Amino acid sequence: MADFLLEIRTEEIPANALPGARRQLGEKLGQALAQASFDGIEVRTFSTNRRLVALVSGLPKRQADRTEVLTGPPARIAFGADGAPTKAAEGFAKKAGVPLEQLERVETPKGEYVAATVRLEGRPTAEILAEAIPSILSGLHFPKMMRWGLGTHVFVRPVHGVVAMLDGEIVPMTVFDVKADFRTVGHRVHAPGIIEITEPAAYIRALEERQVFIDPEKRRHSLEALAGRLAAEAGCRVHPDEDLVAEHVELVEYPGLIRGEIDRAHLELPPEVVITTLRHHQKCLILEREDGELAPYFLAVVDRADDPEGLIRQGNEWVIGARLSDAAFFFKEDRTCPLEDLVPRLERLEFHRKLGSLAAKAERTGLLGRWLAEAAGITMSPGEVERVARLVKADLVTHMVGEFPELQGIMGGHYLRLDGEPEEVWTAARDHYQPQGFEGPVPASDLGRLIGAADRMDSVASLFAAGEVPTGSKDPFGLRRAAQGLVRIIAAAGWNVDIAAFVRRACELAVETAGGDLEPVVAQVMPFITDRVRRYLVELAHVSPDTADAVMHAAWSALPALEARAHALEAVRSQPEFRALTLAFKRVRNITEGQPDAGVDPGLLIEPAEKQLYEAAVQFQSELEMSLAAHRVDEAFAHMGRLAGILDQFFIDVLVMAEDQRIRANRIGLLKMLGRDFLTLADLSKLQVEGGES
Amino acid sequence: MVFFGSVWKEASLDLQTLILSLQQYWAEVGCVIQKPYDLEVGAGTMHPETFLRVLGPEPYRVAYVQPSRRPADARYGENPFRLGKHLQLQVILKPSPDDVQDLYLQSLKALGIDPAVHDIRFEEDNWESPTLGAWGVGWQVLLDGMEITQFTYFQQAGGVELAPISAELTYGLERIAMFLQRRDSIYDVVWGGGRRYGDVRLKEEWEASVYGFEVADVSMLRRHFEDWEREAGRCLEHDPPLIVPALEATLKTSHLFNLMDARGAISVTERVGLIGRIRRNAVRVAKAYVLQRGEMGHPLGNALEGVAHG
Repeated sequence: MADFLLEIRTEEIPANALPGARRQLGEKLGQALAQASFDGIEVRTFSTNRRLVALVSGLPKRQADRTEVLTGPPARIAFGADGAPTKAAEGFAKKAGVPLEQLERVETPKGEYVAATVRLEGRPTAEILAEAIPSILSGLHFPKMMRWGLGTHVFVRPVHGVVAMLDGEIVPMTVFDVKADFRTVGHRVHAPGIIEITEPAAYIRALEERQVFIDPEKRRHSLEALAGRLAAEAGCRVHPDEDLVAEHVELVEYPGLIRGEIDRAHLELPPEVVITTLRHHQKCLILEREDGELAPYFLAVVDRADDPEGLIRQGNEWVIGARLSDAAFFFKEDRTCPLEDLVPRLERLEFHRKLGSLAAKAERTGLLGRWLAEAAGITMSPGEVERVARLVKADLVTHMVGEFPELQGIMGGHYLRLDGEPEEVWTAARDHYQPQGFEGPVPASDLGRLIGAADRMDSVASLFAAGEVPTGSKDPFGLRRAAQGLVRIIAAAGWNVDIAAFVRRACELAVETAGGDLEPVVAQVMPFITDRVRRYLVELAHVSPDTADAVMHAAWSALPALEARAHALEAVRSQPEFRALTLAFKRVRNITEGQPDAGVDPGLLIEPAEKQLYEAAVQFQSELEMSLAAHRVDEAFAHMGRLAGILDQFFIDVLVMAEDQRIRANRIGLLKMLGRDFLTLADLSKLQVEGGES
Repeated sequence: MVFFGSVWKEASLDLQTLILSLQQYWAEVGCVIQKPYDLEVGAGTMHPETFLRVLGPEPYRVAYVQPSRRPADARYGENPFRLGKHLQLQVILKPSPDDVQDLYLQSLKALGIDPAVHDIRFEEDNWESPTLGAWGVGWQVLLDGMEITQFTYFQQAGGVELAPISAELTYGLERIAMFLQRRDSIYDVVWGGGRRYGDVRLKEEWEASVYGFEVADVSMLRRHFEDWEREAGRCLEHDPPLIVPALEATLKTSHLFNLMDARGAISVTERVGLIGRIRRNAVRVAKAYVLQRGEMGHPLGNALEGVAHG
């Protein structure tokens, strides 16, 4: 058994490309080995910012020999009438590399054929690897590829070295004009010299001795331990930021951190500004006290083990001081006038090429917010809703958000609070981007919810109108998330508004700006929103998918009522009478589908079972009305369940398709009436029932 | 030696020595030391010694300082970190040599920066210029957390796919000087000749801000944009096309655009259109240059044929 080592040494690879590169390298190398009949062999992949590594152990030195049966021409062509081989047989034998007399006859479903058993000698593993690796590497895909030098090769960054060894031997290959070797280099600062790798098993150790840690998991553990220690020494803890730590792991060969101090005066800035300045520009972690208050310390990732002259800490402290002073300067400049004074500048910020400026978007949001407030019965001055719809976007033209787009909303909140706006207004600005999809908190105030919902509704409708419809994995404007946020807000607010009418209103405003016809836009947006509503029922309300379909098919556009019906149906659907009712209802649907509705004439009812059903249906009608008026949906479903036996009896005793035209039409009318009433609650035919038709 | 407080400040280079050292170093590496372009440009990339030289197969190495104007970034001389006009030292190595990172790190040694006692990292930072129809892939180089250089492998310029690929190194000179001198304001940076940056440039920054944000005559700028755009077209339609004059006219439109933009005179919808018009001429210039050099038989050689430097 042999070990294989592959190391590709490059210039610094972007952090976001590395996890994908490790995965792809592992998969592709694994596939190549499996294709060469090396099964169940584990490929481990590693990386630093300057190398991609694969290690394989337990590889056979060569493939096992094997035999393969090759099928040739049909026997009737290969052999003449006299049984002697023809030219076709000779040709096949030659191609297969077997003597003519060793040709065999095999029976196949298509008749008798000539075959040859060929003995294939296993190839040396090194040869297989030498062949496979170059195409594996050129087949790796990165988020952004580049060319260099003469421009002949495409990869993530220029390649400078390749180590490819099977045990102690070089596996000969040339990758991007670089010949495979057994030599590599250590850490750029700590051990820049050449290292000779004696065998794959010695590789990891040899590199660690030269301050290169190729295992990202190991680097992560080291960074976390080091961060914990540096924080504890300052009597603090690390302000958690998993994404940033994950990025640090990919930025270095040696997992180093240094702790520096922040001028306390800078901590007077809003904490989000301090955290974002450090994170966005410097990729630094910040420390905090036990109570979560920011402490005047940061941790900067460094690609080395030490800071021999203190210059690294000093330099980082200087840069962070400068960055925070810069942020403080922005803050001061932004505060020279009330945020509201910046609203006119939204005219100059583009929302979308076909949809004009953010000012235009804020106008639409304001109108939709008004519509929603009225529909939801919220007392609020229409002018105020429109004003706040503009106000919440004003921070997009501040210096701070220009520099740190991720602070949108948050800065608006701070500035409006400092401007003396009411709490409801500044929290609306701060919170209106929440929730992100289904995740995260919903704005606490009515105003925040109105603006949040209206803003998202407009984004979806207007961008659809502009032709930016999400497809497959492509959703550059985050419209799925926006629509999910919209549904979540309406659900959390408990507004029994007609979402379909809301969608239509938004589409009307959208086509006024974008141009084009209304109906095609409505026809695209409506199913997009209903799909999000369905997801909401399934993912957040934890209702079975077919329950969601059943209640949505009845009516979907008043969310709290829909959710109540969904829960009520979910609760009763597995009861025996309900399963019977579901099956009976499917029958009702099948029989009445496509039939004209002539209504019911009680005088034409003959059989006791149909009279009984009619009476029950009439009673159900009034029960349904009362239950729904009292918002007792579960009660309505209970009334519905009681019809199961009566309906069953009806189908046993009564022939719907009676010969008498009038009686038949009357019976269909009766079933239609019942079906209609059922449909105010749910379309039971959408439910999957065990033992029933699907 | 301990580099703290005043000791460090005294030991560090002034701005002009910084420039001279880098130019000396890159001259030794084999660069033509060029002069700043005598037009208003937003970046060293617009200098014909970059924008045109990176096109086609001819090898070239050049370095120069380029004062770069970004009227919208001006801050009346009040912000200690931001300037409406700053200095870039631009290096082009075409084709990008295998040891380009080492060459770059050596240049830091020329500035007295010893990588052995610093943390120097190359973090992804890609570059794109919609007005030039150009993009590249590369890094920002961080020295102890400070961004000191933009390092780009040019992939496309003037809409033309490049081969060979040029490496572009852009040193932000004020920032490097500020950092090395540990100054809290650009204007306190020691320039040389007994003067500080503020002595030399502060008033100019204030004036440029007042002009750019308050005074510039938008209708005149607009008129000149049209004029120079047309002039670029005339130069390109001349037989034979006049490449550098066409580029110069295009660069003027780019600067006029920047002035109008700073003045707040460009609407959302207009913006895309104007950028597209500048790019259209930049692309035409690039294509015409490639043709011209081909017709001239690539007098500086053809890297793709392995011809040595001309």
